[in-house]
Formats: sequence, C-alpha cells, structure tokens
Amino acid sequence: MSAKRAAPARKQPMRKKVAGTPSWVAPAAVVAGVALLVATFLIIRWYLTPAAPAPLGSDTTSAVVTQITTLPASEFDSVGQGTANNLLKPVTGTPMTGVTGKPEVLYIGAEFCPYCAAQRWALIVALSRFGTFTGLKTTSSSSSDIYPNTPTFTFHGATYTSQYIDFRAVETSDRGQKPLETPTAAEQQLWTKYDPTGSIPFVDFGNRYAFSGATFSPDLLGGASWQAIADELRDPKSAQALAIVGSANLITAAICKMTSDQPAAVCSSSTIQDLEKKLG
Amino acid sequence: MALPRAQAAAVLISVAGIGISIYLTALHFAGVVPACPASGAINCEAVLSSPYAVLGGSSIPTSALGIGWFAVSAAVWTRPPGSVHLAWSALGLVAVLGLVFVEIVLLGVICLWCTGAHALVLALMVIALATRT
Repeated sequence: MSAKRAAPARKQPMRKKVAGTPSWVAPAAVVAGVALLVATFLIIRWYLTPAAPAPLGSDTTSAVVTQITTLPASEFDSVGQGTANNLLKPVTGTPMTGVTGKPEVLYIGAEFCPYCAAQRWALIVALSRFGTFTGLKTTSSSSSDIYPNTPTFTFHGATYTSQYIDFRAVETSDRGQKPLETPTAAEQQLWTKYDPTGSIPFVDFGNRYAFSGATFSPDLLGGASWQAIADELRDPKSAQALAIVGSANLITAAICKMTSDQPAAVCSSSTIQDLEKKLG
Repeated sequence: MALPRAQAAAVLISVAGIGISIYLTALHFAGVVPACPASGAINCEAVLSSPYAVLGGSSIPTSALGIGWFAVSAAVWTRPPGSVHLAWSALGLVAVLGLVFVEIVLLGVICLWCTGAHALVLALMVIALATRT
C-alpha cells in the first residue's frame, strides 16, 4: 500500500463575512407566535359563545317557578340522592337564627357564577318544601365565565317566607360582576371560617352543616331554556332531575335536621330520613 | 464548576415548574370542589375539576405530566445547551399550546397557577433558542 500523499494546503478563499440573524430574533418570533395563537384562541372563544338568553316575563317566570316548586313527593322519593355529590359537611358553631328567630339558611353567591346558577335550582326546589318564594326573576350566569349563560333565577329582590326557617340570600355581584349585595360582618366571618378560600356558592344551614360549590355540574343546564329544565324535573330519570332533585333532597335533609324534622309531611319520608343519616 | 448563567436560570425555572406542578397535583388529589372565586373569572377550581384536568379519563392529573416534564428539563439543562434542549422545550411548548386552547376555547376560564407553569415552559423555550449553538 502506498502512502497517501498529503494534499497541499489550500488557502481558503477570501470571503466577505455576512452578518448572521441576530440571536434575539428566534426567541422573539416564538414569543410573538405564542401571543398570536392566544389572541386567535380568544377570538374563537368569543365567536363560539352563545348569546345570553333573554330573561322571561313575569307571567312565564311564575309558571316555571310554580312548576318546579310543586313537584310531587313521589318525584323526590324516586330520585333519592340521584347524581348529586354530597358536599355538605357537619360544622360546629352557635346555632344560627334569622330575622324572625327561626333557624336560618344562609346563601352567599353571585349572579355571574355558573355554579351558583346551577345550585339555585336545587335550593329553590328544596326551600319551597318549607315555605314560599315571591319575586324570583330569571337570569343567567356570565357570558365570559366557564359554562356561560347557564339559565337560573336570582335571589336578588326575592323574598321567602316560612313557618319553619328563615332564608337569607346574599348575591354579591350581578352577572356583569358589578357589586350587588354585601354580607354582614357576622356572615362574612362564617363564610371565611367554613370556607377560607371564599368560594361561592356558600350555603350554611343554621351552623349545623355547610358547603361550598355546586353539588352537580352546570353543564347539565347549558343551552336549555328554563321551561325545558322545569319539564325535565318531572321525569325522575332525566339527568336534570337526578342532579337537581337529588341535590334538593340533600338540602331538604339538612333543613329537616335544623327543624327537628318539621314539617313531618316532608321530613318523615324514608328518602329524607336515609339522607339525614348520611349527613351525620 | 458553576453553570453558565443561562443554564443556571433554566435549571431554576425547571425547579419552579416542578414546584407548581406538585402543588396542582396535590390540589387534584385533595379533591377540588367546583366553585367560583367570589372575585372574578379567573378560576383554578373550574380548570382543575374539568374533565380535561386528567389524562384520558384516568385519575392521573395532567399536572403530573408537568412534574415529569420539568424534572427532565432540569436534568437536561445541567448539560451544555444543544439540540436536545431545543427539542425538549419545543415538545413542552406544543403541549402548553394545547392546554391553553382547552382553557380559553373549551372551558373559557383561566387558571393562574397553570398559566404560571405555561410561562415557565415558554421561558425555557426562549433560553433554548437564545443559547443554541
């Protein structure tokens, strides 16, 4: 094998140095690209969000409220807890009474909040077994929050009378998140004590039970009209009835604990008695 | 030997990402209750309790993937910058864009802690691009 001859060293051709792309261009392009994509996502979201349903007139609202507050006892018994999550926790505190000296149910929520929107259906159904609402108006949750435009009612401006309990509702903001009502210092203190994160909806049952959040997903109500939801509540097998009536039964059981099982027509049913045992 | 400044920053960012991901994973396993913050539309609970917060219907939270990704990232950035750093950061950024799509378009709500983790991934991508050889 012959040894390779070393190639003569070639002189590199003289070449004018070309300025490369500055090092900041690629990172800046990525950041700009991400910003552009986020802006596109926001536009898509805005485009996909359905318009808020127009609130119902007072006559139609009355008809819907009557329909959901006169469900037959068999409906409650058929559903039981349904698909509602039991978020109610026993709490210890001075028994809470309302303005007329009866055990008080305290609700703190807001009109923009979709979880409050969902939970109000169950609260109205349950509380109507112990008393009567007047002045409920339809509204929907915020268009710019999760589960936008969830159909519901507002407690703002409504009154509730009962011979067994007092009901105090505080809607802290309207659906545009403008301030509406303010809890008292004592209510604020309770809210912070039982839910340090300050989430809504917050419901306290006479300082015996309390919960924050919704016992079922607002997704179940999305895109439906008030009338359609009210109709579904009459069918114990519907997803809406299993969630709303199931949640109403849990609330009813907690209230029955507050009222020493009064009225008997509501509290003595085996469904409510079983749920009372579950609540502890 | 001390790491060059960009590398050290990337390692610290990765460690911060591990911290946020562990926090979000712990929240998930603590049982997040869907509720609204009383003050506004930014809502971690809504994001963390959504069906998209877990991997394919399992009980494994998406944030657990974040722990793994940031841990690998921290290990990678102890080595001098190269194509592996860029590829790993790009993978993370693609995942982040998917999650941001879910938050904005599908859920319509933002979780600030998640956004913090996403910003850290973007920062790592920027460092990877700026230090590439």
